[in-house]
Amino acid sequence: MSIVACLKWVSHPGEPHDERFSGMSPADQSALEFALRQAEQLGRDVTAITVGPSGADKVLRDALACGATHAIRIDAPTTAAGADVATAIASHIAGAEWVWCGDYSLDRGAGSVPAFIAAHLLAEQALGVIAAELHDGSVHATRRLDGGRRELLEVHAPAVVSVEGATARLRRAGLHSLRTANNASIDVVPATTPMHRAEFMVRPYRPRARELAAPPGDSPLDRLRVLTDAATSSAARGEKVTLAPADAAERIMRALRDWGYLTP
Amino acid sequence: MIAVVVVRDGQLPSGGDEAVAECDGRALLVGSGTAAAAASLTGIVRHATTVEFAEFRPGAWASTLAPMLQHETAVVLPGSPDGRDLAPRLAALLHRPLYAGAISVSPDRVELTRRGGTEIHQTHPGPEFIATLQPGVRGVATSIDAPTPDIVDATPTHLPRHEQRDATVLAVLPPDPATIDLAEAPRIIGGGAGLDAVARIEQLVHIGNALGASMGATRVVTDRGWVPHERQIGTTGVVVDPELYLAFGVSGAVQHTSGLGDPVHIVSVNTDGHCPMMQLADLAIVSDANETLDHLARLLDEAQ
Amino acid sequence: MSQPDVDVVVVGGGPAGSCAAIVAARAGLSVVLLERGPFPGSKNMYGGVVYPRILDELIPNWWEEAPIQRWVTRRSTMMLTDTQALTVDFRSEAWGKPPYNGATAFRPDWDHWLAGYAEAAGAQLLTDTTVVGLIRDAKGAVVGVRTDRPDGDLTARVVIACDGVNSFLAKEAGLYEHADAKHFTLGVKETLSLPKEVIDERFAVRDRHGVDIEILGGTGKVNGGGFLYTGLDTLAVGVVLKLPKLAAQQQRPEQLVAGLKAHPAIAPLVQGAELKEYSAHLIPEAGLTMMPKMTTSGMLVAGDAAALCLAAGIWLEGVNFAMASGMYAGEAAVEAVHAGDVSENGLRGYQRRLSDTFVLKDHRKLRRAPELVLSDRVQHLYPGMIANVAERMFHVDNPHPKPGVRRILAQERKKAGVRRRDLLRDGWTGFRSFG
Ligand SMILES: Cc1cc2nc3c(=O)[nH]c(=O)nc-3n(C[C@H](O)[C@H](O)[C@H](O)COP(=O)(O)OP(=O)(O)OC[C@H]3O[C@@H](n4cnc5c(N)ncnc54)[C@H](O)[C@@H]3O)c2cc1C
Ligand SMILES: Cc1cc2nc3c(=O)[nH]c(=O)nc-3n(C[C@H](O)[C@H](O)[C@H](O)COP(=O)(O)OP(=O)(O)OC[C@H]3O[C@@H](n4cnc5c(N)ncnc54)[C@H](O)[C@@H]3O)c2cc1C
Ligand SMILES: Nc1ncnc2c1ncn2[C@@H]1O[C@H](COP(=O)(O)O)[C@@H](O)[C@H]1O
Repeated sequence: MSIVACLKWVSHPGEPHDERFSGMSPADQSALEFALRQAEQLGRDVTAITVGPSGADKVLRDALACGATHAIRIDAPTTAAGADVATAIASHIAGAEWVWCGDYSLDRGAGSVPAFIAAHLLAEQALGVIAAELHDGSVHATRRLDGGRRELLEVHAPAVVSVEGATARLRRAGLHSLRTANNASIDVVPATTPMHRAEFMVRPYRPRARELAAPPGDSPLDRLRVLTDAATSSAARGEKVTLAPADAAERIMRALRDWGYLTP
Repeated sequence: MIAVVVVRDGQLPSGGDEAVAECDGRALLVGSGTAAAAASLTGIVRHATTVEFAEFRPGAWASTLAPMLQHETAVVLPGSPDGRDLAPRLAALLHRPLYAGAISVSPDRVELTRRGGTEIHQTHPGPEFIATLQPGVRGVATSIDAPTPDIVDATPTHLPRHEQRDATVLAVLPPDPATIDLAEAPRIIGGGAGLDAVARIEQLVHIGNALGASMGATRVVTDRGWVPHERQIGTTGVVVDPELYLAFGVSGAVQHTSGLGDPVHIVSVNTDGHCPMMQLADLAIVSDANETLDHLARLLDEAQ
Repeated sequence: MSQPDVDVVVVGGGPAGSCAAIVAARAGLSVVLLERGPFPGSKNMYGGVVYPRILDELIPNWWEEAPIQRWVTRRSTMMLTDTQALTVDFRSEAWGKPPYNGATAFRPDWDHWLAGYAEAAGAQLLTDTTVVGLIRDAKGAVVGVRTDRPDGDLTARVVIACDGVNSFLAKEAGLYEHADAKHFTLGVKETLSLPKEVIDERFAVRDRHGVDIEILGGTGKVNGGGFLYTGLDTLAVGVVLKLPKLAAQQQRPEQLVAGLKAHPAIAPLVQGAELKEYSAHLIPEAGLTMMPKMTTSGMLVAGDAAALCLAAGIWLEGVNFAMASGMYAGEAAVEAVHAGDVSENGLRGYQRRLSDTFVLKDHRKLRRAPELVLSDRVQHLYPGMIANVAERMFHVDNPHPKPGVRRILAQERKKAGVRRRDLLRDGWTGFRSFG
């Protein structure tokens, strides 16, 4: 079991859970594709693993159809906490050399499972990778940093690499491997490590009120003036005008110049 | 509560100041140029411990930092790339739960966004936990007459023995405006359902090139199949944070604007003067977006 | 020939395909059901009412499990002019109890549910797989299908084509002689959401009871019909349009739906509802006139693929015909495989079953109905004429005394420019079809 793909069974985010619209996220599809390419290159097998209920067999069958050789499902509810998912996966893949994950799961969206797995396996990690080159004994991975910068990492086994959705397009399963995968037996194992379920109160999203930097000004009165716009001209912020399209374009050009986006 | 902030060359990550503010000014700054970073937090930080390390190595750093954080109750990291990498490693070594992607953290309450940013999940954590705070959700207020922060260097003279391994950094690459993706673009020109034809997308790209802006769209436009999903701005698309946002025929639905960050300047062109996008705009023009684009393209071409 | 991969390949996971697969798999044949969508029904649309009694045999007490929205207990036929509406309204409590009559249902639910029975019977369902061609032997007999997947050929003793309207497979097999734009209508539908209580109140129904409204004359200058059905907390409103007319009038279908929704008789029913989905699909309209040959060596065609949809203008039944023909195709395939003869002759049990049952009997009976319902007279002259007759009969115009009905009729016929001869002929056609 030297190459592993961690695949989570998810349904489309933002909609109620519907098994018909469920499967691997684009990120997990990329992870699987890298695992398969690496396996071809190194002449190894790919193990697909998921933590989830029986519906999650679907992603394992898809993986088998695409060329994974083994499939393991650790039986657990979809609500299992990320740390527990990682512990369960790590306990089943001890000795794995390369572990491929998606950057984050669509529903939970935390991106922490891969790092937890790396901690358990004492492995190197490259997370949120946007490009990966497979070499014989290593992987060169490009990771995002703040402000558009990138970090280029050289990763050696044992390692966990988590990739973004658009990094690789999963190959299409052949018709006959799809038929075989559909009937293949899936290794289902009970979760031997605890699966906690954090209790959450759920409500619709509302942005948090943002704190604003105190306005410049020496006295409280000055600051109040700035805050209430009392002393400034009203031209800059919140201007609303009705214009013919040609004038609208002119007005936009002027604003862009004023704001310094266009050299005059 | 204490904020753990990864510093690179004296630069704070996005959301670094917010994490410190969330923890009432208590911070542990780790990385290169931590003293300079501490100085840049004047007015926000009260007490900072600095640990000076050269290269970002989440495994090794976690082994060093974990013992130092053992007696802290809640540990908050900014949800920047480095914070997201380090937080689970700390959580694993400290055997604590991790709440990733929080929009607010206090000792007895954590709020997380889930399901593509459409839901908030609130929980009452136990006494000890780790959380990452999403950049940009909180904002910071620098207090003007704050006392000078008290800064203690705690860089260990030698690294303790540990078993954690890390990848090798080959290079840090500067941002490349040509390949910059929407999430990081400083200027964005966005189109909505008010656009009348798929050819308008090309026009947006064209105008965007002249302005150094990336093209983005609303879900209605991606649903039409005019642009790929990775160009959709919003809670179920890409969360962006530009300085300048130009919106053409965009109504400004909450799912769209909550992924828009906090642009310094917003221009909106819309036939409906009362839609939310127009309320948000610095320059709101009631006009036909399509014809305005024609004129704008012409003006920019002439200007070049 | 070497052993084929499977006994039966069914192409298309719509109602026809799933029923064919259920029957063949239950008889012990190895069956693969191919569907191009991510799951059966994912991309399928229709107006919204199914008549599932044909399932009695296949799925006893189907109503206990079927994913229906509401049971249709009210059927109305409306005739609209720009400013008038004449409605014939019927309701029956019997339709709200087992074994029921019609029900509104969503196709992604219905088709998915039905395909579940095919899988339970042992058929293998492969989704995201599109059939792109037929495989034939040297003599031209169909021996399998080619799919868009790598390594994508699948051989079979019998191929059952249930790939829907405008069937690519039936055409490739050369079974359609005359497919023509004038044989198709375009169905366009909007799904609107509205709270259940509001629907219950506006349509005067309770619980799971619902309404099916068929509309004549609401499509402006384009010949066609309209419909309005109640889901649990949705409405389906749409139009069925004659293609050549649509092209000639240069009107966009969504404008016609908007026009129907704005009609004074419809607007109060849909007011405040929010658009959830817009979809459009072709309907084989010409019935017997356009039906293909149903059988060729190694292959059967069922459902819309065989133009078995009964679309007599405002009368739209397709799912029941699809389920029935799929079932019969499955039976015929079983017969042929067991007898070891899958030639055209070996498969002839299919045509016999179609002819002996409602599938073709209804079509024969209603053979002239589509043409009649979509004719210019029925579309553009009669609704106004009949509505005017009704208006004058119900109008109280004192001090003038009430005029006699015969006089009104004669006057309105003349005013509408309808010749008596045509009226009689249309009446007779209508009587023979529907009577
Ligand atoms: C779970 C969920 C997740 C979602 N996620 C996202 C997301 O990530 N991103 C996103 O964008 N949306 C998202 N949406 C959709 C969102 O609710 C809105 O429907 C969408 O943002 C509206 O896009 P729009 O502004 O282009 O269209 P509309 O709301 O239809 O607005 C079009 C605007 O164009 C104006 N207009 C029309 N014609 C002209 C003209 N000729 N000139 C100028 N102006 C004109 C109109 O006045 C109107 O203001 C989500 C919805 C749900 C339910
Ligand atoms: C607007 C409209 C309103 C209607 N209203 C009603 C109504 O109210 N009641 C009613 O009973 N009928 C109605 N009908 C008719 C009804 O929808 C059809 O008669 C019925 O769906 C036919 O079923 P089918 O199984 O033959 O084909 P379909 O339901 O069309 O199924 C065909 C299946 O084959 C798949 N497929 C197609 N090509 C391929 C391929 N190459 N490879 C793999 N898979 C393929 C498709 O994805 C689909 O799942 C309406 C139709 C329309 C368009
Ligand atoms: N239940 C799970 N089963 C298998 N892999 C998982 C599971 N949860 C998360 N992962 C993997 O970890 C990645 C990041 O997930 P998360 O940390 O939940 O955002 C996913 O893209 C998967 O590769």
